This record gives sequence, C-alpha cells and structure tokens, in this order.
Amino acid sequence: MFNLTPTVVSREQVTPVHVRLRLSAPEIALAALPGQFLHLRVSAACDPLLRRPFSIMLTEPATGLIDLLVQVVGRGSEAVAAAMPGQSFDIIGPLGHGFPLAPSGSQVFLVAGGVGVAPLIGLAEALAEAPGEREIFSLFGARTESLLCCWLELAERCVEFTAVTEDGSIGETGLVSEALARRLQAPFPGKRVIYACGPMPMLTAIAAIGREADVETYVSLERWMGCGVGACLGCVVPAAAPSVERYLRVCKDGPVFPATALDWEAMPR
Amino acid sequence: MSAVDLSVELCGLGLKNPVMVASGIFGYGTEYADLVDVSSLGALVTKAVTLEPREGNPPPRLCETPAAMLNAIGLQNPGVEVFVTEKLPALRDFGVPIIVNVAGATLEDYVAVARRLAETEGLAALELNVSCPNVKAGGLHCGVSPDLTAELVATVKAACPLPLITKLSPNVTDIASIARAAVEAGSDALSLINTLLGMAIDVERQAPVLANVTGGLSGPAIRPVAVRMVWEVARAVPVPIIGMGGIMTARDALEFLLAGATAVAIGTANFVNPDTAAEVLKGLEDYCRRHEVARLSDLIGAAHQY
Repeated sequence: MFNLTPTVVSREQVTPVHVRLRLSAPEIALAALPGQFLHLRVSAACDPLLRRPFSIMLTEPATGLIDLLVQVVGRGSEAVAAAMPGQSFDIIGPLGHGFPLAPSGSQVFLVAGGVGVAPLIGLAEALAEAPGEREIFSLFGARTESLLCCWLELAERCVEFTAVTEDGSIGETGLVSEALARRLQAPFPGKRVIYACGPMPMLTAIAAIGREADVETYVSLERWMGCGVGACLGCVVPAAAPSVERYLRVCKDGPVFPATALDWEAMPR
Repeated sequence: MSAVDLSVELCGLGLKNPVMVASGIFGYGTEYADLVDVSSLGALVTKAVTLEPREGNPPPRLCETPAAMLNAIGLQNPGVEVFVTEKLPALRDFGVPIIVNVAGATLEDYVAVARRLAETEGLAALELNVSCPNVKAGGLHCGVSPDLTAELVATVKAACPLPLITKLSPNVTDIASIARAAVEAGSDALSLINTLLGMAIDVERQAPVLANVTGGLSGPAIRPVAVRMVWEVARAVPVPIIGMGGIMTARDALEFLLAGATAVAIGTANFVNPDTAAEVLKGLEDYCRRHEVARLSDLIGAAHQY
C-alpha cells in the first residue's frame, strides 16, 4: 500500500460520461493485482471531502502506467474526469483483495455492467497471461450502445464477446444477467468461473444465477468509503452465515468477494 | 530560536505533543500502520469498546455531505475481552499513550468494561463515550442529561483508577452544564465534540440515505460549532480539554488551542489525508517559531484574553 501523487499522462473521453485516465505510477503498476482499487483524493480543498475508490483497469509494469475508467456520477467523479495531462492525484493503493485466477482448463465468464467493465479488463489480461489455457467469454451490459465504454478492450482479450443493451440498440436485448443465464445452459464438463462487476441489482441477479447453476462466482462491489483501509467500518456489506462477522468491509475484505460469502437478502441497494 | 516545547500535560499524562487521533478513526491502530508513523502521535484513542461484541448498524452506514460526512457505524467492535487479548498488544507496540474509548448500553456495561480495563497493563486513560448518537439504548440519553452524566462518570471513576476523560455530545442545549456535571463527578478531562446528529435523504429513492436514518456529522463543516463549544466549556470548568471537530490543518488546530483546548484530536481528516496529524504537528511548531512562542502550552486558551 502506497500513498503517492502520480501524474496524469493522458485523458480520453470514451463516451459522453466515461473518461479513461492513464497515470504514471510505477509502484502501483508493479504491485497491483486485478480487482484491486485506488483511493483518490478528488479535491485539495474540503469539498468534496472524501476520497473516491476507483478500480484499476489495466497496469503496465514495464512502463509504469496504469489506466482508470471514470464514470461521472457526482461531484467527486466529475472532478477526477476533468483531470488533464500533467495534473497529479493523491492516491492510496493498491487496496483490497482482487480476483483469484481461475485454474487452467476452466471456462471463464466475465460479466460487466457499465463502468464495472474496468476491473474485468485487467482480469481478462491477467487470465490471458497466466500459465495454462482458459476459455474466456465476456458479456457486457449497458442501458444503450453509447455506454458500452472500452468494450473493445474487453472483447479483444476474450474468445467471445457479447454486448447486451436494455434498449436493444446493439447486441442482445435485455439484461446482461439474462444473457449469462442463457450461456450457462450450454453444458461444459470442466470447471466454470463467473466474475462480475456492475450495479448491485445486476450482481444480486448474477449471484443467484451462479448459485442455481452451481458455478463458482466472484463479484466486485462498490460502496461509499471513508478510510479505504479497513479502519472506519463505513463500507460494510452483510456476510452470509456462517461467517463469524455479520458484516464484511468492501475496502479490506473485498472489493472482490465469492458471491456465496455475502447475504444477498440483506444487501443494501 | 531554540526548539519549541510541544509537550502538554493532560490529567497526569505528559504528552510529547498535543496531536491525537480521535476515536473510531484508526480502528485499533494497525490498519494505518503502513501509511502513518503512529509512534509520532501525542496519543491514540481507540475505536469504542463495549462489554459484549457488537455487530453494528446495517449498511449504508456512511455518506458524504457538503464539507462533511455522516456516519452510523453503530459501535461495531469485538468486545472488551477480544480487545484486550487480541487488539491491544499491537497497539502497545506503537509506544504512544493509548486511550480507550468506552461505550455501553447500561451503567453495568460501562462498569464491567472499566473494571476489565483497570486490570489491564499499558493503558493511559479511558475516554467515556456518553455521547454516541447512534445507539438508541445508551449514548444519547445519558449525554444529554447533567444528572445521568454525573452518575455515569462517578460510577466509572469508582470502578477504574485510570484518568477519566468524558467525551461530550454537542447535541445539547447547554454543553457547559453537562461539562460541569462531569467534572464535579470526577472527570479528569473532557473531549469535545462528538458528532452532530444529522440526516440525508436520497431524493431519487425518496428515502433516508443511511439505514439507521440518522447519523453523526463530522468534518470541516462542523468546526465552528466545535470551536464555540470548546470556548464555552473552557470558561466553565478547570480541567483540560481535548478539542476536536473538523480539524484539517494546523490553523484549525490552533483555533481549538486558542479557545482553550490542551490537546486536539484528528478525526475525519485522516480519511482524506492519513498524514494530517504529522502535518498539523509540523504546522504547530512552525507557528510557534513564527510567533516566538517557546512552549506550545502557552497558547492554550490565549484567545480568552482578547
């Protein structure tokens, strides 16, 4: 875990509400695992006050570059998305637990909802580079075509890519969770693993699908955070029995959890 | 100019400097150990400890508001026994005075925790949480009444020989009267302020943001309230005060010292900048040099001479 002030190297407006930032952060590029996040200070002043967590999209240890994908949802993300090359950010990270890599021979489903695609791109890269062979399928859901941010980054790292839009503007029509359920109907003799990141209703649906199909499922969660390092207990989510703790910290115990570790009935929206 | 004397005297504790970390911020100390030199702190106040383990409030527990945040953690902690046996050893290793924040739902709870801590080595003081606004059974009821505060202070004081610091709630009409009651009952020092009771509503969902509905407001937005209360309490009682509420910089800390605080505690600012305590300390030293103040303690309450 570092507290650094890396500089923005480039900024790309990916969609009307998504910005891809490339930062020079060699320590983080070397240390980060797919699924870990960074806690960014968004203002040097007192407002917006709290840091904002951002998943690491891609790292390039050789060049020391890291990519973040920022969706503008409020004042904090707006300030981050407005960053221009040369600007630096106060960053704490890499933080939390990332995705465990599926063993060789397994069939992998990466299921993204909106900006939740970011950590799955890094995961796709790590799975492709890991020793052994894995068949990587990806499904990317959004409300409409223009919100499928960085989809090519995901598609080019997988054997099959499926776009799913709620308005049917491209790909399959409906919810990405429904598309996943259809894919899982095809039998596969070996091990399957689902990795998902997106809005909570989508993750709730995917946890249920994974349970139903008896497929190992990992979800990456996002919550408001105070400290980001496990001290304040502000970002907790309910744990499934028989956990000793009723609540788990998204920042420290997560942000990636086995779906079976969480109590989805009691999950806040 | 020779070195500035940053030490302060706080109810028998000689602190090497007046900058502490407030309860609930550093957990039990170890979470921030990678980022912060904990040993440079004047003292560390632990997250609240109760008799039995508490699972805390359901989420969402936290949200941001203008220049502030609301929290309703609900005293999640492993209970005093686990605290003493599993958390405290690592805390002691930092070599800074450890002040344990004590909370409870009943008088008996507080006494049981105080007795357990009384028989524990390596503690500097207790901070009595009479003011946590999030636990309906305890907290608020006690901290808003001078009589109940006095009864709690006297009972805990009798159960534990450690210096006793009472942490006051700002959610009262007259904080000076509560402060007087606590001091007359034997409180050796006072901490103020705890969080201000607040609430935020998600207008899209048309529902409260926090599952607990209300939460405690902290951060720079509450600082003027905290400074005013430290000012009032400093005029009302003779015991030392630990001032807190939205301190982000040395300038902010100076407001509290000048208003009458002997020490200051950093809370929410640590989430924003884990180095806040170190930067505040450095800033205090610079200020003393600039104003030719040989001893930082000479600044305590200086603004009352206006």
